[in-house]
Amino acid sequence: MKKILSLLLASAMSLSLLAGCGGAPAPAKSNNPPAGGSSTSQGDASTPQTPAGPIKLAALSSGYETTYPGMWKEVCDAFTAETGIEVELTLEKNLEDVIGPSMQGGDYPDVVLLATGREKGLTEQFIKDRLMADISDVLSMTIPGESATVSSKVMSSMVGTNATNPYGDGKTYLAPMFYSPCGLFYNAGLFQEKGWEVPKTWDEMWELGEKAKAEDIWLFTYPTTGYFDAFLYALMYSVGGPDFFNKATSYAEGVWDTPEGQQCFDIIAKLAEYTNPVTPAQANETDFSQNQQLILSNKALFCPNGTWLPGEMAEAPREDGFEWGMCALPAVKAGGAGASYSFLEQIWIPSGAANIDAAKQFVAFVYSDKAVDIFLKGGAVQPVNGIVSKLEGDNVMFYSIYDSGASAVVGIFSAYESVAGLGTVREVFLDPVNALVSGQLTKDQWVSDIKAASDQMRANLVVK
Amino acid sequence: MRSKGRSRFIALCVAPAAILFFLFMVMPTVNVFRMSLFERGAYSPTETFVGMSNFKILFKDTKFITSMQNTILLIVTVTIITFFFAIVFAAILTREKIKGQNFFRIVFYIPNILSIVVIAGIFSAIYKPDTTGMLNNIFTFFAGRNIEILWKTQPMVIVSIIIAMVWQAIGYYMVMYMASMSAVPASLYESAGLDGAGRLTQFFQLTLPLIWTNIRTTLTFFIISTINMAFLFVKSMVAPGMSDVGLSFMYAQKDAGLYGYSMAAGVVIFLFSFLLSALVNKVTQREVLEM
Repeated sequence: MKKILSLLLASAMSLSLLAGCGGAPAPAKSNNPPAGGSSTSQGDASTPQTPAGPIKLAALSSGYETTYPGMWKEVCDAFTAETGIEVELTLEKNLEDVIGPSMQGGDYPDVVLLATGREKGLTEQFIKDRLMADISDVLSMTIPGESATVSSKVMSSMVGTNATNPYGDGKTYLAPMFYSPCGLFYNAGLFQEKGWEVPKTWDEMWELGEKAKAEDIWLFTYPTTGYFDAFLYALMYSVGGPDFFNKATSYAEGVWDTPEGQQCFDIIAKLAEYTNPVTPAQANETDFSQNQQLILSNKALFCPNGTWLPGEMAEAPREDGFEWGMCALPAVKAGGAGASYSFLEQIWIPSGAANIDAAKQFVAFVYSDKAVDIFLKGGAVQPVNGIVSKLEGDNVMFYSIYDSGASAVVGIFSAYESVAGLGTVREVFLDPVNALVSGQLTKDQWVSDIKAASDQMRANLVVK
Repeated sequence: MRSKGRSRFIALCVAPAAILFFLFMVMPTVNVFRMSLFERGAYSPTETFVGMSNFKILFKDTKFITSMQNTILLIVTVTIITFFFAIVFAAILTREKIKGQNFFRIVFYIPNILSIVVIAGIFSAIYKPDTTGMLNNIFTFFAGRNIEILWKTQPMVIVSIIIAMVWQAIGYYMVMYMASMSAVPASLYESAGLDGAGRLTQFFQLTLPLIWTNIRTTLTFFIISTINMAFLFVKSMVAPGMSDVGLSFMYAQKDAGLYGYSMAAGVVIFLFSFLLSALVNKVTQREVLEM
């Protein structure tokens, strides 16, 4: 009797243990054999007509969703109402950690909203390994529920750069989903109170730095080194124009030895001297908002960031008379144009997705008036024509940044094959800024590291 | 007949654990070794055999060498400091009559049940770089002038991690030693006292030798957990690339699209921790004393 009891208990224990392992339901894939299942199927072969089943959408839960909870659900429902295709939504702040493991097992979402330039670099890896579906035909598709085509709505300046066409072959792999001008944020109230002008050139910037120092205010801070990507893109563009920008982002030979290249490094190195010294100590995932707080408490004047900053800091304490201001990066010479980088979040389809056709319909649908309006409620602005007239509040000022003569910068560093020991663009170009500020690294060392890495990056470009 | 049924029963009881151990420990470990010989992206279905080339590059990669140096530095310093304080506190709390013993026991233990995110949050207040930070504030109070130590950046970053890790680990080990110390019979101390042994002599001649087995076991345990904890602390507390440890280097390589390379780093760390525990086990071997 006793033995039977213990046997029962033991089997109950083992069953409960095993039940834990069975948690991940095997997705029903039987109706679309070519997709993702076997580990050898190289994506491009998997575009035959597939039945429009439910599609799986994996989207990054960002500040927009916080501003207007339920934003994505509403869009998915609107899509289902229009096309009858059900959407399974995965909405996570740490999307890479959630969808990453199942994708390694060959189970891909149908649509992914995840931008390039994130620390985990998932989107970059999909570009490098050519695991994205070609969605060029989405541009000519008619938007579900409307008569307009996608390309008639999307701003033409947002398509065709290497942020959407990573291989430079005229084919689009990533659709531009949200865009947000990046610039320098400051306390407009403080500038008014002190009678300071927002600098138009870098020389004026340094002058202002001295003036502010006299008042015990540092000129500059940054949330984390990751925010230097938009900064560096805009800086390269304003220093050398589109030609230099294209050369630099494709690591052209000798590009960092040109006067323009040197000027970029000089400006960042000088800015490091004017950076509030507490910045690197707080430039991590836990404390970055403390660096943003420096702007609100008048301990630093400028902070590179995107339009989501006021929302992110909405609850933070602030000095009297605080008012958000945002400007483009100053010009190099008097009379020159400043620049602001358009941070672009992309939406894309893994080539291993089960329902590529339905997924394409979804990508087309996000440009419909209905979807655009829903996204706008969360402050998420899509690159569609005429969007600027629909904006409200602070966003009007932020998105008018290009009206005052600043160049709009779009594009990213070109993808290169991963090489052991080489490091990512962020590790090579941006992360060392912390050490520049704290004085652990000299400018010359930083530049020579970049040059050495650039040579390797160029040699390993995905598209030569 | 009886013994046959019995062994069948034992096999049944052990089977679930054995199967799970094989599935989730042995298989992945073997896979790590296998993948370290290949190169592939984390999401790419294709892989290329590259032989030992990952390891060759790894041992020349200055970033990897620095991160292993950081790991070793953390293991050595955190272990020494934690064990010193844990043993001393345990001795004080078990042997001396102190008011609020239980209170201290709980207070020291609390850090151990906090999640790493909470600890990172607590230490972001403690290490705040201006004078509003707790540590800087205390120093300012005693120094009589403004002290603004930039804790979480170079060169203080490794010190900040050590302090946080020690703070987190002391309580757990203290409670362990308290348990084994209270198992030492009081009569031993009494007779030692009669023989004229002072408190310190009692501690070194009686307490330490009698709990040595416990110390040995926890030491091995601690070294392995430090390798993991160092990664969590570095990940959640400081800026990327500022003071990488072995495991954070491994993760960064995966994110850069070098799955095989990161697995090679994993293999090295695995062997390193394995050898280190074996070494510690060997070095700390003593004749077991019976009470």
